[in-house]
Amino acid sequence: MELILKIAWRNILRHKGKSLVIGVILFLGAYLMTIGNGVITGMDQGLKSNIINGFIGHMVVVSEKQKSDNVLFAIYGKTIMPIYNYPEIKKVLAGQGYIKQFVPVGKNPALILNEESDMGRSFVLGVDFEQYQKVFPDNMLLTEGRLLKGKEHGVLVPEFARKESYEFTNIWLVPEGAKVIERNLTASARENKKDLIVKDYQVFMGMNEDNTTTDVRTPVKGIIKYRALNTFWGHFMVMDIESYRQCMGYFSASEKNMPVSKYSQALLSMDSKNLDEAFDASGVVVEDKKSTPFTKIAVSAGGQAGPDSLESGAYNLVFIKLKSADGLEKKAAVLNRLFKEKNLGVRVVTWKKASGVIGSLAVIIKGLLFGFVIFLFLVAVIIIVNTLTMAALERISEIGMMRAVGAQKSFIRNMFVAETAILSGTFGTLGIVLGIVTVLIVPYFNITTQNDMVALLYGGDALRPALDMRDIILALAQLVLVTLVSVVYPVKIAKGITPLDAVTRD
Amino acid sequence: MNIIEIKNLKKDYFLGKTVVPALRGIDFAVEQGAFLSVIGPSGSGKTTLLNIIGCIDFATQGTVKIGDQEITSMNDRQITDIRLNKIGFIFQTFNLIPVLDVEENVEFPLLLMKKHSKGEVQKRARALIEAVGLSDFIKHKPAELSGGQRQRVAIARALVTKPDIVLADEPTANLDSVTGAQILELMKEMNEKESTTFIFSTHDHNVLKYAKKIIPLKDGMIEQAQ
Repeated sequence: MELILKIAWRNILRHKGKSLVIGVILFLGAYLMTIGNGVITGMDQGLKSNIINGFIGHMVVVSEKQKSDNVLFAIYGKTIMPIYNYPEIKKVLAGQGYIKQFVPVGKNPALILNEESDMGRSFVLGVDFEQYQKVFPDNMLLTEGRLLKGKEHGVLVPEFARKESYEFTNIWLVPEGAKVIERNLTASARENKKDLIVKDYQVFMGMNEDNTTTDVRTPVKGIIKYRALNTFWGHFMVMDIESYRQCMGYFSASEKNMPVSKYSQALLSMDSKNLDEAFDASGVVVEDKKSTPFTKIAVSAGGQAGPDSLESGAYNLVFIKLKSADGLEKKAAVLNRLFKEKNLGVRVVTWKKASGVIGSLAVIIKGLLFGFVIFLFLVAVIIIVNTLTMAALERISEIGMMRAVGAQKSFIRNMFVAETAILSGTFGTLGIVLGIVTVLIVPYFNITTQNDMVALLYGGDALRPALDMRDIILALAQLVLVTLVSVVYPVKIAKGITPLDAVTRD
Repeated sequence: MNIIEIKNLKKDYFLGKTVVPALRGIDFAVEQGAFLSVIGPSGSGKTTLLNIIGCIDFATQGTVKIGDQEITSMNDRQITDIRLNKIGFIFQTFNLIPVLDVEENVEFPLLLMKKHSKGEVQKRARALIEAVGLSDFIKHKPAELSGGQRQRVAIARALVTKPDIVLADEPTANLDSVTGAQILELMKEMNEKESTTFIFSTHDHNVLKYAKKIIPLKDGMIEQAQ
């Protein structure tokens, strides 16, 4: 081995130009592969962290009637089924030691009504804001006005949603009683300043599964910006849960429970497909002359009597944060078994499934990045193979003479592998080390984006590549693989050189 | 005892569709300890014959036995072992490993054998380097040597493993007469002391004087044995 290494090392020095070409390619390959791995890991970690810590937690409880697991980015018009039994769900969740925090929320699309222009649309998140902030502290920055206080009615409008609202309706939203802050206007709004319609409220009309919604005028309390993935979460206006329930037509905690006559109960329990029965001999409609508020119908349909507490009203989702993300699927299975045993009519889905389009796009981008890394890998292999093959052909006399003197083919193979391994070990390791340094330094440059796709690539609003031990081992494995794959063909050529080739060449 | 036995040896080369016979059926045997010269005009098949005996080329037909081993039926690994352990080859040109110095080049086959200690390898290599008069150039690379010096290194390398047979294709062709004579004396000394068999092709009459036996080749056949 000493002899092989000696010859390999001296050959590298003898053919400095070629060695440098191979070395530089290995260096660049290893460097870019390390950074690529870092970006992939950073994206994965960033998305995970920003989705879990910034918005929905590790798992989401949804109604069993909910068909799609994608509850976060379901297209507008697709509503999320309500959950009426949160107090019972809460009991189950509170009893699980592995759960750190959880918060019930309402989430559905809503139409934004106004007198001046066409309807706008937005996702609305209905929360008990104080409770929500305990689970997702600091996930938003206040840019104008203030956050929601106590149980007050109001909505927090993300900058992104305000911009979209302006572009669609020409209405510029400001917090209640506040004036337009010129520096916060978009370029187009600034140009159009004279004709700008300024409002400090929004009229929401919820979109629920039964189309039994009402219009709710909600004061804008603040303009916010989400700390991460702002262009995604920016579609979500945050509303107090009671306003949300009202606009969605759900039973709200402020509404008192009213006794429902047996005729009304009979009417409410009728199959909606057989409404003709209402006019048959039983005559329920005729006997019960009192009208029933629409909101009561909603809760009665769910079979719930509404106590006064806020939590007894309807929600759509429960966001759950775990103490540890390990064994996520197993924990979800445990919860699902418990929900089923207790017949709560809900199920739990993991954050990846719940975040739908983001999760899918992340996988695609991850695949593309991986493809890029493979492309680099192939380019490096092709150039190295070419250079090493040329080197083998230029050394026919030397290799043939070695074989004539008694060197086995394995000696020639080991000599080539050693040469490539030395180059790969030196330049490749340097590339990996520099790649690690780059990955560590990049976050300090705070490279940010407002573009949705780039935000996905970054795993958040800022590029924060990250490497763990697995990535470094992966980079080393890729380097070893490049070395081994690169050397196969040149070694085949070199091993095929016979002593006679050397003699006849001379 | 015969160290080499050749029977009906034929070798054809193919130039496109044209068959060029280089050896047309050669039979001879060489006793251990022979000092034999193969002579003949250019194209007579001297180099081809040496290449086949030296296991670096293959016969088209016939058999070649080295010691008690029939080499024409051997695989590459076995053939390479024969080259390493039984044959020393001195090529017409010098063919040294450019990245190794004189001492390392001479040590090379011994290191491939993996039979000897580091000290023994060095001792044997240095003794032969001294014998070929290159002690002052022991750490020189081939590129720093003259043609004659390189040939002497190649001779030292061929002899260092104490092979049963040394094949030399025009061994003194690139040497001055004094160095050529020194080399031939060294070969003769080894032949007498170690009973090493030497077969060399040459046009040099001074070399022929050393030969105990001559095989004349003409058109790929033995013209007449002397």
